[in-house]
Amino acid sequence: MGLLCSRNRRYNDADAEESAQTAEIERRIELETKAEKHIQKLLLLGAGESGKSTIFKQIKLLFQTGFDEAELKSYLPVIHANVYQTIKLLHDGSKEFAQNDVDSSKYVISNENKEIGEKLSEIGGRLDYPYLTKELAQEIENLWKDPAIQETYARGSELQIPDCTDYFMENLQRLSDTNYVPTKEDVLYARVRTSGVVEIQFSPVGESKKSGEVYRLFDVGGQRNERRKWIHLFEGVSAVIFCAAISEYDQTLFEDENRNRMTETKELFEWILKQPCFEKTSFMLFLNKFDIFEKKILKVPLNVCEWFKDYQPVSTGKQEIEHAYEFVKKKFEESYFQSTAPDRVDRVFKIYRTTALDQKVVKKTFKLVDETLRRRNLFEAGLL
Amino acid sequence: MKPLSSRCHMKAQWTIPVVCLHSLYIAILVGVTAAVHHIEFRFDELKDLWRGILVSVVSIAVWVTAYILNEIYDNISWIEVASRFLLLVVASILVVAFFSISSSQPLLSQISLRRRESREFRTMSQALGIPDSGVLAESEPISRIDPNEPLDKLLLNKRFRQSFMAFADSCLAGESVHFFDEVYELSKIPEDDCVKRIYMARHIIEKYIVAGAAMEVNISHRSRQEILSTSNLTRPDLFHNALNEIIQLMRTNLARDYWSSMFFLKFQEDSNVRSNEYELEQITGWNFSPRLSSVHGTDDPFHQDHLLKSSGCSNDTTNL
Repeated sequence: MGLLCSRNRRYNDADAEESAQTAEIERRIELETKAEKHIQKLLLLGAGESGKSTIFKQIKLLFQTGFDEAELKSYLPVIHANVYQTIKLLHDGSKEFAQNDVDSSKYVISNENKEIGEKLSEIGGRLDYPYLTKELAQEIENLWKDPAIQETYARGSELQIPDCTDYFMENLQRLSDTNYVPTKEDVLYARVRTSGVVEIQFSPVGESKKSGEVYRLFDVGGQRNERRKWIHLFEGVSAVIFCAAISEYDQTLFEDENRNRMTETKELFEWILKQPCFEKTSFMLFLNKFDIFEKKILKVPLNVCEWFKDYQPVSTGKQEIEHAYEFVKKKFEESYFQSTAPDRVDRVFKIYRTTALDQKVVKKTFKLVDETLRRRNLFEAGLL
Repeated sequence: MKPLSSRCHMKAQWTIPVVCLHSLYIAILVGVTAAVHHIEFRFDELKDLWRGILVSVVSIAVWVTAYILNEIYDNISWIEVASRFLLLVVASILVVAFFSISSSQPLLSQISLRRRESREFRTMSQALGIPDSGVLAESEPISRIDPNEPLDKLLLNKRFRQSFMAFADSCLAGESVHFFDEVYELSKIPEDDCVKRIYMARHIIEKYIVAGAAMEVNISHRSRQEILSTSNLTRPDLFHNALNEIIQLMRTNLARDYWSSMFFLKFQEDSNVRSNEYELEQITGWNFSPRLSSVHGTDDPFHQDHLLKSSGCSNDTTNL
């Protein structure tokens, strides 16, 4: 009898241990799902080169640990590649213009720079770029200052020249320093075509540590081939941050040069708005690259773009910039309401004017986004 | 033979030339097939040709027998009825078959497509019999790799390539590595083997280059146009510019995240101690890489295409 009892007890002990373990596992799973539920999913969407990754980098700088030395250094090859590729694009572009253009003479590179140009173009076509030495930097600078290259750069919108060109060309001497470590700003300017999906988790706690909301932000590639991957991220999204580079109204797509970037952005925006998964998703539209927009608008009329062809400039200077911006904003608003079914009109839609490179602007914008989303959550929970 | 009506019954002097014409057609087919039979087609085009000849021969034979039967026993009416019926059925089936196929798709491509599916090749390069392609052999030499070497050199190492590919697949950027892999396979085909080169080049174009392709790569408009407008698919530098762009993309975008990912850790461990693999499971939990951790679509195009999953890579994708 006693034997039986003790054996029974032993079984019970094992059982209890097992069930305790199961309970522990279940508790953990529950905790994790709770935490997971608590995390808000944000998507950065938009066409190629609209500034998604720059926003992403800013978030890293603002709300995470930022970039450590190793990470800054890892951008060095990227920055050098940007320099070599750009100078090649400009050199080859000027050659093309000199051959085909009516006013061809102004695109002919001066004799003393011709040889340098050929050499740099050859380097730019290689796979492995040489280290940017002082001599190479000087040569690139000479070529960059050549009137023909400057004329070509003025027509840069036809050549897929990256926006960082001006910035890096002006800093060539610093970039070629032997002890050069990229600065935060350099990293923000560096152009990398994103492929696939990148994510970070952050909590926009400022000095007050009050927010406590946790976000998971996804950055994606924007070119057409990248967009078919987006669909994997579409479920359970709290907010879509749609980046539209408003300065690109006179440029064509990297992946299809017969297509205006603004028109593509419009169609992409409308396609996303119509996705069934986004019925209750908030939309934050970032009208990005305002810094380039305000410079360009005074040189290139807004109505070169098919979508804006009914635009009439009214004045000059600052007023004109505001007028043009308001026009673009109105166009996007119209597009939003046209593509939003009546039963979805209660989803949040906000438009922000941003310059992704400007840390202050991004910080302010994100505070607003955070506030909006928190209010929305309270509203959904029935507390407001 | 008793004509059903005098108008629809041909006499022997007409019938014989018609049969001769058909036989001539078959003879020409046989001739052509024999002439091309030394070319090593990989998708059984030759078999398709022979099969076509067989079908034509059989239908002519049916027709001739029916005709002769009619001529010989023209007083047995059931033979007459049966043979005419058979002729009609054969003719109408053939007509229906050929019309329905050719109106929906060219006959040839239908045949070769069906062929391709039935074959058990996992990649085009295996189908073309390119040496040293496909799944890793166990005897693959283990070599230490140096992360400071340029990525395109590292990718020539098969073990590394597969690890990198698994990583890229996991963050939905696999098409670039797959493209690199297949272009590398193409470069292994000797330059004078035009047929194979064209097959491979066409396969790569259809899979990676054409706008909207299943695994379209992220390349510029210019590079894409250059490839699509080429008149010579055997050119050795056909994909040169596109490949350069893709290598730059991998280098500036994927590589930095790869070095801090689980996949690289596992790769290193793998090349250190390959015998006791189970130990690795313990470190599967941590991953510094900012690349995907929570998203795994079941209908992900890169997972179904990821055929070369080497030992344990699939393990990672699910555990991450």
